[in-house]
Amino acid sequence: MQFKDQIDFIRQHMKRNKLRVATTILAATMGCAFLIVLASVGFGLHQTITDDVLDNNMVTQIEVAGKTDGETEIAPADIPDAELQQIKEMEHVIAVVERNQPEAETQIVIGDRSTYSQVVLSSMEEEQKAGFALSEGKMPTKAEEVIVGYHMAERLRTEAEMEKEANGEEVGGFAGSLIGQTVELELTPFAAEGEEKAETSTWEFVVTGIAKEPAKDWMTDVTFYADSSWGPIFNEELGLEEGYKNILVYADELQNVGGITDALKEEGYYVYSVTEELGTMNVFFTALKAGLIFVGTIAVLIASIGIFNTMTMAVTERTREIGVMKAIGAQPKLIRKLFLMESAAIGLIGTALAVAISYGISILANWLVPIIVLSSLGEEDAGGISIVISTIPWQLVVIASAISIGVAMVSGWRPARKATQIDIIQALRQEM
Amino acid sequence: MIKIKDLQHHFKIGKKGNERHVPVLKGVTLEVGKGEIVAILGKSGSGKSTLLHILAGFMSPETGSVVVNGQETAALKESQQASFRLENFGFIFQNFQLMPGLSAFENVELPLKIKGMAEAERKMKVQKLLEKVGLEEVAGHYPNELSGGQQQRVSIARALITDAPIILADEPTGSLDSETEKEILLLIQSLNKKLGLTFVIITHDEEVAAVADRQYRLHDGELVKGEQRHAV
Repeated sequence: MQFKDQIDFIRQHMKRNKLRVATTILAATMGCAFLIVLASVGFGLHQTITDDVLDNNMVTQIEVAGKTDGETEIAPADIPDAELQQIKEMEHVIAVVERNQPEAETQIVIGDRSTYSQVVLSSMEEEQKAGFALSEGKMPTKAEEVIVGYHMAERLRTEAEMEKEANGEEVGGFAGSLIGQTVELELTPFAAEGEEKAETSTWEFVVTGIAKEPAKDWMTDVTFYADSSWGPIFNEELGLEEGYKNILVYADELQNVGGITDALKEEGYYVYSVTEELGTMNVFFTALKAGLIFVGTIAVLIASIGIFNTMTMAVTERTREIGVMKAIGAQPKLIRKLFLMESAAIGLIGTALAVAISYGISILANWLVPIIVLSSLGEEDAGGISIVISTIPWQLVVIASAISIGVAMVSGWRPARKATQIDIIQALRQEM
Repeated sequence: MIKIKDLQHHFKIGKKGNERHVPVLKGVTLEVGKGEIVAILGKSGSGKSTLLHILAGFMSPETGSVVVNGQETAALKESQQASFRLENFGFIFQNFQLMPGLSAFENVELPLKIKGMAEAERKMKVQKLLEKVGLEEVAGHYPNELSGGQQQRVSIARALITDAPIILADEPTGSLDSETEKEILLLIQSLNKKLGLTFVIITHDEEVAAVADRQYRLHDGELVKGEQRHAV
């Protein structure tokens, strides 16, 4: 029998028992939708936490916190340039950024406005390769050019404004853009307790870029990013030792971060990357998702009892027809296939409806649940975190469909086998 | 065409452990040639249906052999027997055995669907055959919308549609009134003459058996040669 005819055949049979087939499909739909929605909560929470982690980190960034050769510990500042060069030459590494922070009190001044800040000295060329994100302006091309943090302008205040702020009043900060403005950097070496405060040195810079806004609302960025060539100048002028050094390695793509992290670990580097954090989380959430899929599968199995009953009744009711078909030459495997196809069709229709319904429930849950949660907490927003309660990735649809259709076919297997074993003579003796 | 040799069969009666063996066929031997109509007469319980069921491959004989078109049918597996039936036999049943959910056209079409014939070809074939047996006007009717005679014509058309050379008919007029019975018997005779089909008819009715070239009577499981049509 041709496949099209087989489809027509089972469609005719299903039409004849519309109500029974419809209720069985409904049960299959409910079971599968329960599985998808339940597991989607695991996927949703995983996404929420992952997004939060990724928002707080540059995903392709690997922080090098030092090195060990098995006996001695080497601080980031003491890692030889030759070794950093080796890291730069590693496959999938696009940049190695060394960030220094002079150990001095930092103040940025523009006219009568000033703010405390922190200086970060880095190679602007490497920062550009690493994908330093700007909200405005361009990367510095000269040593006298700098990038300032996103909140620098609003934190630049006059003394009067600082007093007002101290009294709890709202103040505006620097009006307009800092791009193209000349700012003064004042560095004062930290004085030990009891020592006299050291003399302040001042340098002038031109702002060419404003860093991208931090991912979280509560973060304030007033960093002053200057070229690393200023390090020795500051140290000499202020009599400073080499300051804190931070080494950041950047991969070309997120998928290569794990490989670079592992390679650096093997070399004895102490490294931290987002994959480390995600790795631990992934184990937890994979276990959670598997658990939820398992619980959801129980609902599908309960629904499968309905399919088994429907198919068993179908075989019993159609005993005479099956007998006639066998008598006129239908192969037992064709009979079995027709019944398996019918149970698979119930599973397939149920799954298709379940997927559509699940997406609807998922959208509704993602809209409604955060509103309920925030209103119960008396908050207006979740502090910059976008709460995703339920996510249905295609993998979940594939897993749920495979379970649902598979279970439907297994439920129909025994009735289908029973159909093939029907005795022709007994079947033909049945009354219509 | 059909060679039945020394066919023996018995049924078990009674509860398990206390069964009785009742012989149904006691060494039946029969040969049917191409284009013949052979009638097997017998009372209820004489074993005539058992003989037909063994011949059709619905059940296996205990001893003896059935050879159809050179093929020993008992040697075939279940799936092979199904294919063999599809190629070699057409069936006419007493109570028509039509599919209630299919129209007359679809019922006739069913064996061709099972055979896997392409839609356009089989539709044309069914249409022609329905015209031949005078059912073109009721092709779209369902079995419960047809008279007994029409249903049996549909059943005959279904038996003929695969061009099987042998038609096995089990009480083909058993559910029909005498007028319709005559129509059906005329149709069988006409098909036999025009198409050269071989008919094996199982019946308890002498009038039905009268259309046969040869008649046999099953009595106490033994086949006794009866009258020949030409001699009647």
